[in-house]
Amino acid sequence: MNRNKFILQISLAFFLILIAALAGQLRRVQKEWRSAVRIMPGNSEPYVVFDPNQIDETREHSAPEVLVKFRSGVSGDAITKITARLNDRVEDEIESVSGLAAIDDLDNLEAESIAAEYRALPEVEYAEPNYEISLDHDGGGFKHLHPNDARFSEQWALDNDGRNGGKEGADIGALRAWVTTTGDDDMVVAVLDSGVDYTHSDLQNNIWIRPNNIKQYEDRQLGSIEDVHGYNAVENTGDPMDENGHGTHCAGIIGAEGGNEIGISGVNWKVKIMPLKFMNAGGFGNGKNAIEAINYVIERKRAGVNVRVISASWGTRLRSRALEDVIRKAHEVGILFVAASGNDGVNTDLMPQYPAGYDLGNLISVAALNRKDELASFSNYGANRVHLAAPGANILSTWLGNEYEEHSGTSMATPMVAGVAALVLSKRPQLSVDELRSTLLNSVDRIPQLHGKVSTGGRISAAQAIGGE
Amino acid sequence: MALSREEAIQKARRDLAQRLGAHESDIETQGVDDTDFPDTALGASVGDEMSGQMITPGWRIRLQAMGQAFEYRANQHQVRLCNYKGGNYSI
Repeated sequence: MNRNKFILQISLAFFLILIAALAGQLRRVQKEWRSAVRIMPGNSEPYVVFDPNQIDETREHSAPEVLVKFRSGVSGDAITKITARLNDRVEDEIESVSGLAAIDDLDNLEAESIAAEYRALPEVEYAEPNYEISLDHDGGGFKHLHPNDARFSEQWALDNDGRNGGKEGADIGALRAWVTTTGDDDMVVAVLDSGVDYTHSDLQNNIWIRPNNIKQYEDRQLGSIEDVHGYNAVENTGDPMDENGHGTHCAGIIGAEGGNEIGISGVNWKVKIMPLKFMNAGGFGNGKNAIEAINYVIERKRAGVNVRVISASWGTRLRSRALEDVIRKAHEVGILFVAASGNDGVNTDLMPQYPAGYDLGNLISVAALNRKDELASFSNYGANRVHLAAPGANILSTWLGNEYEEHSGTSMATPMVAGVAALVLSKRPQLSVDELRSTLLNSVDRIPQLHGKVSTGGRISAAQAIGGE
Repeated sequence: MALSREEAIQKARRDLAQRLGAHESDIETQGVDDTDFPDTALGASVGDEMSGQMITPGWRIRLQAMGQAFEYRANQHQVRLCNYKGGNYSI
């Protein structure tokens, strides 16, 4: 090799190394730019808010911390004085909603604390943190919306990234669905169970409270019940506090508050959970109390409460005509009934379990999947009596004592479907119960292993049910 | 109040002795296994009882008396006798 050729080769190698290094830098910059693109609630287009590496430093100069709705009659001057007193400033008035303002805090307090300060004021109708929401795209070009809940990465059912032996994409497609809707405060889902811990900090903002214009529950035989949050059929009171944990777990799957930086996100970030208690501290109850609780839901619906779904994560081998009749009655008033197929690992076409086994037009029976997209070993199945499957193994959700626990069962798969039903209704509230049921059954992700095991052969898909972008 | 494993075993032994009209000392504990049951009624529903369809950890308590085997199921909330004279019983 002559000297000139050697120098040429060395120069070429150096040049190639330089190009590779520049390309690496470009990819890093591009990645950082992507992660800096965020959207704010209510905006249809993403915009750059800030560099995510400088969240704390830039906070007071970027997004407002809270959205506050002042009561009608509170003047602009009064609002300015209130915010100044709290060392805040009005960043923007939302003209389309009278009294609504985006407020910046100048003290660097947590958004939830600021919102609490405002909620305590008599001039304020409501105040909520201005949740940060990030938007990105997956490999298939679909938009995604990620909540900032602390333990969201453990919620494989909502976003399965293949961790812990899971299968990437074996989830309900929540991230895609949330681009379109994260739920609706006006949508009520009844959790017919062991009650719900309505004081849990990840649930309390999503618990149904009887509106002032709805009279307290009156039953000719049971009497008058002060039903602030729901109904307790075990003790015939208006206090459905959970003593077991099962109902609280199911409620969290449907509607643990999303985007609040703590715990988990429900399928619905915002929804109204109506707690109903018919199972005791041990986690079991009788048919009569289940019927009383369903009757309560029907009566509340008739009184004007927008309750559209009952989630029923329980069952028995005995068939009850009375239970079947009351669920049929719920159909007449437009309520979907989602039921657990059971955990005996059997074919329920041969060994039915109820209420999941009733052949009713408003009923969906649910099997459970594990994180590998396989029918869970414990799950019942049935090509006729079980309609679809949903994630139900190792599901993290809310628990008693402000805690979170992982549990498994068709009990966990059922609220996953009830939650998707509510999410669909938040976007398309005009759907009849029959249309809602068809939408859910016809939009499943088909999984070969479920062929012959559930009637649709698929897993519930929030993204497809809603028509994710 | 939450039951401990030992309290559940004791409760099961006492119940069986009463049912059989025997002394507790006649009841032999053959084994106690940690088990995952299919529901919150420990897979032993009584009558038309409804139970949460959540996998529920507990203890399978195997007792023997008068030459017969008996199975109790328990967790911190409850003790149940399984398949005794054709039925399940909540203790």
